Amino acid sequence: MKSRYEAAKNVFVDSVDIDDYIDLDSSVTAFQQLQHSMDKPLKMILLFGRPGTGKSILLTRVQEKLKHQKEIHYFDTPAINEKEFFHKLFKVLTKKDLPSNTEVNFAALVDFCKKLRGKREIIILLDEAQMYSPEMMEKIRLLSDSRAVKFVVSLHKTEDEDLIAKQHFQSRIWEVIELKNATKEDQTAYIHKKLLKKNLFEIANSIKAKNIKRIHKYTKGNYRECNKLLFTIFEICEYYDKNEPSKVNYAKISDRIIEMAALKLGYIHV
Amino acid sequence: MYDIKQLEDQWKQYKKKKLKPWYIGTGILVVLTLLLIFFQTNLKINFDALKTYLDTSKEIQPLKNNDKSEDTVVLNKMEVKETVLLDDALEKLEVKDNIIEMAEKVVKGHDNILVDIPILDDTNEHHDEDEIETRKKVHIEIIDSTSVSGYKDVEKRFFESHDVDDALFLAKSYYKNGNYEKAEYWALETNKLDDGHEESLLIFVKSKVKLGHKNEALSILNSYVKQSDSQEAKKLLYRIENDKL
Repeated sequence: MKSRYEAAKNVFVDSVDIDDYIDLDSSVTAFQQLQHSMDKPLKMILLFGRPGTGKSILLTRVQEKLKHQKEIHYFDTPAINEKEFFHKLFKVLTKKDLPSNTEVNFAALVDFCKKLRGKREIIILLDEAQMYSPEMMEKIRLLSDSRAVKFVVSLHKTEDEDLIAKQHFQSRIWEVIELKNATKEDQTAYIHKKLLKKNLFEIANSIKAKNIKRIHKYTKGNYRECNKLLFTIFEICEYYDKNEPSKVNYAKISDRIIEMAALKLGYIHV
Repeated sequence: MYDIKQLEDQWKQYKKKKLKPWYIGTGILVVLTLLLIFFQTNLKINFDALKTYLDTSKEIQPLKNNDKSEDTVVLNKMEVKETVLLDDALEKLEVKDNIIEMAEKVVKGHDNILVDIPILDDTNEHHDEDEIETRKKVHIEIIDSTSVSGYKDVEKRFFESHDVDDALFLAKSYYKNGNYEKAEYWALETNKLDDGHEESLLIFVKSKVKLGHKNEALSILNSYVKQSDSQEAKKLLYRIENDKL
């Protein structure tokens, strides 16, 4: 027999799926801010925040929403090396594949971009940009100077990455958008909306304000951590529902189960 | 989810650890409460002692006032002793000489002392002997019972006044302080003045026992029991016979 918690568990599988995007006050603000920045004559836009604050899903959302209005491309995973990155970029710019045994002449690529100025406006959404080397970032900046290619660079916010940002981009014209962890209210809306999207009304209703408080305390409002915790909570509920139904309260999620999930994920320790 | 049992065990451990400070806190609270109750009880005792002291002071105060009201009386010249007479415990004592000029002289107020003084009749210059014998006793000053000079003062006064109370006081005090020879002497002195005085006889007997004259003590006490049928004496007899003194 299928447990009612199985569907709930799957709601919180961590993925960058546009169908899973939840409109929250904070995410709507960030989206509008990014869209507004892209309309400005800026060369590069920095989107940064701690891991799990929703940078990737925001970029996906932007690409999905604006793909019919703008020439917008999303580079979700960083290229293994410079050669691969420029092959990818070459294809975006020229709409042609480069033979695998050839290399892109960077100077020729910059010239090509300069010629595109005023004709095309290409937006490249560069996720996980902290993975790129400083040299590559410098070349990206030179390409953006052509004003034909605009880069939205998404960075993890750590002390080192802040340093990279300072060293390579601070002196350029930048729009900086920071994504932060969710507030308790945002997290409540996020969890409830995600469950309601899958018609799991009863389960959404079983998560009380007290539970949210505890979840927020453990995850500090981080969406990825929230997904992980909720997934584990429903995984435990699913187990009890199938094997020991007396241990699960269908009306509300017990603190015990949340603490067990937190123990499993290492938020709390024995 | 295959590790649920292990997770449950971990949770139980976590819960214990989490509740530990609460248990400790509760324990500390209980201990503090008990200590508080303990100290409050002690304080109550001290308050009781203080209350007793204050009550005694209140008793003294009106007497002092009476003394003052008599200050203007002209009396015949006589000498009286001031003494402190305390409770039966006789733990503390003050003896102080006080000369009251009783002849054609104003009697000054006394300083916090229980005084044996005659009741004065300020309306009649002729004082009857009976009136003079009526006395007041006022406590005034307290010193330690080990004060040798205190006892000497009482003894000195006794030789002048031959007061039964003084003799009994000395007998009881010396007995209490373990000076059984003197206790025996003063008990005898008391008995000489009042041969029916049971308390002095009992102190005399007890002192005899303490000095090792048990047979003599028993002989005296047996005679007294036969004569008086006193319960106190019987109790003492029982205690002496059973070496429980």
